Amino acid sequence: MKVRHKGPAPYLFLSPYLFLTALFVIVPFINAIALAFYETNGPRSRAFVGLDNFRFLFNDTNFHAALFNTTIFALVSVCVQLPLAMGLALLLNGSGSRVRAIFRLIFFSPNLVGQVLVGILFSVLFTPRYGLIPRGLQALLHRGLEAQWLTDPDLIMPAIVMASLWLWVGFNMVYFLAALQTVDKSLEEAARIDGASPWQVFWHVTLPSIRHVVVFVVIMTVIGSYQLFELPITLLSESYGYGAKNAGLTLITYLNYNGFHSGDLGLGSAVGWVVALIIFTISLIQIRLARLTED
Amino acid sequence: MSFIDKYPFGKAPFALLVIAIVSVGLRIATARRHADRPDLVLVTHTDAHYAAYRKAIPRFEQEHGVKVQLQLVNWASLQARLQNAVLAGTETPDLAEMFESTLGYFTRGPAEDFGVMDLTDRLHRDGLYDRIVESRFSLWSARGRIYALPHDVHPLMLAYRTDLVAKLGIDISQLDTWDKFVEVGQRITRDADGDKVIDHYMIDLRFDGAWSLDALMWQRGGQFFDAQGNVAFATEDTAELIRWYILQARGPNKIAFDCGWGQSVGKAMTDGLVVFQWAPDWRSWVFEDEVPSLKGKMALMPLPAWKPGGRRTSVWGGTGLMIMKGTKNPELAWELAKFLYFDGPDQGKRFLATNIIPVLKDAWNLPELERPNPYWSNQPIGRMYAALAPETPAVYSSPVEAQARINLDLAYARSVDHFLKHGEAGLMEVIRANLAEGAAAVRRYADREHKLRVAQ
Repeated sequence: MKVRHKGPAPYLFLSPYLFLTALFVIVPFINAIALAFYETNGPRSRAFVGLDNFRFLFNDTNFHAALFNTTIFALVSVCVQLPLAMGLALLLNGSGSRVRAIFRLIFFSPNLVGQVLVGILFSVLFTPRYGLIPRGLQALLHRGLEAQWLTDPDLIMPAIVMASLWLWVGFNMVYFLAALQTVDKSLEEAARIDGASPWQVFWHVTLPSIRHVVVFVVIMTVIGSYQLFELPITLLSESYGYGAKNAGLTLITYLNYNGFHSGDLGLGSAVGWVVALIIFTISLIQIRLARLTED
Repeated sequence: MSFIDKYPFGKAPFALLVIAIVSVGLRIATARRHADRPDLVLVTHTDAHYAAYRKAIPRFEQEHGVKVQLQLVNWASLQARLQNAVLAGTETPDLAEMFESTLGYFTRGPAEDFGVMDLTDRLHRDGLYDRIVESRFSLWSARGRIYALPHDVHPLMLAYRTDLVAKLGIDISQLDTWDKFVEVGQRITRDADGDKVIDHYMIDLRFDGAWSLDALMWQRGGQFFDAQGNVAFATEDTAELIRWYILQARGPNKIAFDCGWGQSVGKAMTDGLVVFQWAPDWRSWVFEDEVPSLKGKMALMPLPAWKPGGRRTSVWGGTGLMIMKGTKNPELAWELAKFLYFDGPDQGKRFLATNIIPVLKDAWNLPELERPNPYWSNQPIGRMYAALAPETPAVYSSPVEAQARINLDLAYARSVDHFLKHGEAGLMEVIRANLAEGAAAVRRYADREHKLRVAQ
């Protein structure tokens, strides 16, 4: 049945939403496009610089380091974090409901405390000589007691990855676990009766059944990785979030430094557009690939 | 039928209407509160300053018949909020205390955009300029003008445990140059018990350079920027320093360990892991506060000089009081600033509460600065810091200062890479090249900032 509303009432009720969307989404979006072509000192003074912001970015070694580090982090997130999350989900999927609920809470709980707190916590854990991690390494491997996790360029990215694994593996596990519980058990059982090994059951039956969730989680992980900010800025707060030899510098830390710390919103906006373009391109490729495998 | 049911568009729109009415009501109520704004608002980021000002301000209020509101805000939040408020042209406090290296954020772009008041003429007019340690104005100057009152001098000394020094057979009086310091350091930095872990390190040096590299550069007379704001760190002297620093922090005969920050520093001192710690006047109070168990065992000594008879100190840290351009009472704000920073009777009391020596040279004769400090083995630490204060090096500010710090550390880290692969062969050439590259990167940022000044 088609309902027709007469009078201005529907538009009146929609108007706050439309007004706020225009004010906080559409206008800033258009402004951000324009801003990328200006050099600014906050919103007060600006000078039109054409494509100079983008030229500056592509010639700035700090930006190269940020792009490289963020891409490495995204790759590690997808190749290490997600398989770990899937492994945990598979383990829990086979257990009883009470055990599953307890472990789901345990693995998910790091996510409840937030990235800043995790950053502070790990900066204590990594303290050379006295932190739990150097002490643990010394006890197990007889080395690593004086490892400078947060000031040695070779260890900074592994430190960020370790903290992020603790934070995000449980979070992604919850998605996978929820998806695994929707898989038709009779299909898996039929495959087993036909002589399929556990790996074959997972690869040919389970994984295709949860493909849409996997694609979603991969895309969200890549997007999240390219937006990495709170962890490095907390772990490396003494070096503006850059870390020794720029080893912890990410695209959003670079954006934050240039846009807000230095007040050059134009350059910050240009970085934002580059990040958006990267995320858009990678997401598009992932969706296309997923469709291809589906076909 | 309830009232809500009679409302023609249902429950949800009614709830929205209620929220809208409540929001408008709250806005009006808050706006009214704004009208009750005191005559001056002062924001600080340090507990010790907050406590001292809270005691002092009632007298100022009484003498001037005004109301002053004092706020304590975390330093990082204060900087970000103040900077954003200045840039956006929204309401700011009348006065704000900021850490060193922050002035550059308020003095970017055209001078009319500066959010802080120029205090140069007032300082000369009231005869304060000549009474303050001259080097401290450098932190708060931009384009030849002064934009904040310096709160402190922060001369740098070394702190050590007297019992540990005696046990290791170190003669403090002999440590008057860095060469001798390193010589002793190489003797005591070793694994005596054979557990493959070093028992004592001579000194705490940051693994990635950072503040300890900066302080040593300033001691040698080096600078990130010269007085005119030109990038100045890519010099032969800084290259020599980086080579020295690499050998002490990363070399096979290293004498340094990076203790990190906070509790781990106290633990390293208590355990005797590191013999010498960096101790500007403010940090001497931090030791007293955070490591009370070492009371009576600690002592201070001037930094070793780079050359015999050379400078025996450097600087670390600094706070300044800015008067924001948005203030409606600039003269009253100036009076409050002078009252808080230079009022005679309170200078001595504040030193006893914080160990921070006053920035006014004529306050260094106060009896409180002569008093022996039981924590520091009864040394008269006020007099010791004051004796070094005239030697403290200038540290010039710039809108791209953070980039300079990042790029000096980057040059250091890249040079370490070379050292770890090839040792000292070709090291100086690599350091020089890395410094030149770092300086060029900072100049690119400086050029952008300069372009903005010219474009307006």
